Amino acid sequence: MELYQSLVAVEPATLIVTICNLFLQMYIVKKFFLNKVLAVLDKRREAADQEIVQAQAAKEEAMSIKATYEENMKQAKAEANEILNHAQKTAAARSEEIIGQAQAQAAQIKEKASADIAQEKKNALNEAKDEISGIAMAIAEKVVERQLNEADQEKLINQFIDNLGGAL
Amino acid sequence: MEISINGARILAVFENVPLLGTVRLTQTVAMSWVVMIIISALCIWLGSNLKVTGISRKQAVAEMAVTSLVKFVHNNMGTGFDHYIPLVGTIFITSVISNTISVLGFWSPTADLMTELGWALVVFVIITYHKIKAAGFGAYLKGFLDPLFVLAPINVMAECFTPISMACRHFGNILSGTVISALIYGALTAATHGLLGLLGSSLIAAVIVSAAGVVLAVVMKKMGKTVYFVLGIILTLLGVFALLHNAGGFLGEIPFLAIGIPAVTGAYFDWFGGCIQAFIFCTLTTLFIKQAAG
Repeated sequence: MELYQSLVAVEPATLIVTICNLFLQMYIVKKFFLNKVLAVLDKRREAADQEIVQAQAAKEEAMSIKATYEENMKQAKAEANEILNHAQKTAAARSEEIIGQAQAQAAQIKEKASADIAQEKKNALNEAKDEISGIAMAIAEKVVERQLNEADQEKLINQFIDNLGGAL
Repeated sequence: MEISINGARILAVFENVPLLGTVRLTQTVAMSWVVMIIISALCIWLGSNLKVTGISRKQAVAEMAVTSLVKFVHNNMGTGFDHYIPLVGTIFITSVISNTISVLGFWSPTADLMTELGWALVVFVIITYHKIKAAGFGAYLKGFLDPLFVLAPINVMAECFTPISMACRHFGNILSGTVISALIYGALTAATHGLLGLLGSSLIAAVIVSAAGVVLAVVMKKMGKTVYFVLGIILTLLGVFALLHNAGGFLGEIPFLAIGIPAVTGAYFDWFGGCIQAFIFCTLTTLFIKQAAG
């Protein structure tokens, strides 16, 4: 014979068992499921947070490295400019010096040349003077020679002219 | 034919137990232990072998369950009541498993008012604790005299109706499902005996019906008319069932028409109704506690 409760029955024992079951079940759910899963979720969140912090630190580091690099680049550029300027200045000074020297040399050479020319001219004039005086002396000798001999005068002049023509 | 809808079957009776008197061990208690074992096994399985990275599909389900539970409690109560998360989750999962275990043909522990009343009493104690904590014991007692001292009995009753209404709402919905399922099953069994008994009373009629069904099904399959093809199949089955029914003995007792149809109504009452009642009970639990804490 199977016994049944009525459809709506009040049974204190069932009530007490149900409440005890609820607390026991709650403990099991909490210990074996909720706490474990929540711990994993928390761990993952922590890991994600840590990664974000690390990423930020890395970014900051990279930014500082970049700033240093830029600073270095700026300095290098300034130095390069300075070197370039210096080189330009040096080169300009050097070229001016060279040009000055060249000009001075050219002037010297020119001066020397004109002095030589003047010397040559003088020499030539002196030579010409000597020759002319020699010729004049010769003529004078001839004139003195022929005064005694009128007849030879014309002959002498022609001779002179011939000699002149040979000299010229 | 007679349909009887009873409460839980009594498995054992213990007389003269101290303090309690006669104790009846019912199906409710036995099945609640079965439900507990199922849930505990589920918890241990889902809660084992958890990893922080490279999680398995099982762990993804577990995490989704926990996060949606935490979100549910936070949405209803705010963030100050995290210690009630296990309670709410436990009531929810116990209710869902208890409601849907009837699909497998077992007795639902939630079809016994005592189960829901037990949960509701626990919630009631928590509500009262928060009310006293929020207002102070004197003010809590004085609240029953509001607005007039003569209304005190009504206020006390209103207070007591909170757990009763919570329990009865859940119990009534599960009970209605049980009752309707039993009615449909009974009606279909009666229809089976009526229809098949009539048809099977003449052997020739049953054979003709099933033969006509086979011919209809074959011809309509070739012509590609689905509706008539299904009709042919139904006629064939009807004829065959009528023959089996009248063969007598064990086969005559099988309610053929009850196969399949109760599964459709069960889908609503056991699955949808079961889950929605668990959800409602938990929602009320969280809202009442939140309200009591002010």
